[in-house]
Amino acid sequence: MDSLSSIAKIAASGMTAQTARLRVISENIANADSTGTTPGADAFRRKTISFSELVDRENGASLVEVDRIGRDQSPFRLEFNPSHPAADETGYVKSPNIDPIIEMTNMREASRNYEANMNMFEAGRRMRGQMLDLLK
Amino acid sequence: MNLSNLSIFGLASDRMSWLSARQRVTSENVANASTPNYQSKDITDFATLLDAQSAPATGLAATHPKHITGTAGPAPGIREVPDPAAHSTRLDGNTVNLEDQAIRSAEISDQYRLAAQLYRKGYELLTLSVTGR
Repeated sequence: MDSLSSIAKIAASGMTAQTARLRVISENIANADSTGTTPGADAFRRKTISFSELVDRENGASLVEVDRIGRDQSPFRLEFNPSHPAADETGYVKSPNIDPIIEMTNMREASRNYEANMNMFEAGRRMRGQMLDLLK
Repeated sequence: MNLSNLSIFGLASDRMSWLSARQRVTSENVANASTPNYQSKDITDFATLLDAQSAPATGLAATHPKHITGTAGPAPGIREVPDPAAHSTRLDGNTVNLEDQAIRSAEISDQYRLAAQLYRKGYELLTLSVTGR
């Protein structure tokens, strides 16, 4: 596989990874208010994602893959709300350890990275087109 | 007649293969822009590729179809090297700078167009000398 063809594959792996990251972020945002249902129960724990380099055996290109999806072990936010079904005996409810600002900045970065990969794909395709134009 | 033996065609085609190898490495860097501890890469410069071609080939010769030649790179004279301009500014140890990569990619695209146009011009010149049109 020549270099220009492998660019598409590399960019696609980057876009897949960034999509997985966006999915995790949207899961976090969707669950920003998911508390437990029984007294003193744990709320939703924020999910984290990390990537690792994956060397393509076929042509030696460095692709990227999702390494693991983990859980953020930081403490829950405590809110005083004695009437809530998940409130413990002191009246505090455990809320998810999600900070909307962190999720937003993370989301921005993921979509910028996705765009960068898309541009690399476009650049590779343009170069391929120029090369094929020599046949005209 | 082999067109690659004429300097303009050989040079333009070498330049194009070097540029596509460099674009590939740039695209690897962009794909791994969020990978912890990933080190930004670049390839050896174009002069190294030209020097490698004038030097006699080294390494094992494959004289039989069952011989293993080893994992050759994209082309002789093109090697991946750590990006000399890279520096780590992030906690995750990643040294890819997306802005640098975007600029590099645009430069490579432009240079590729130049080489492709040069190839075409050389071909037109040849046509002119043969047909007079």
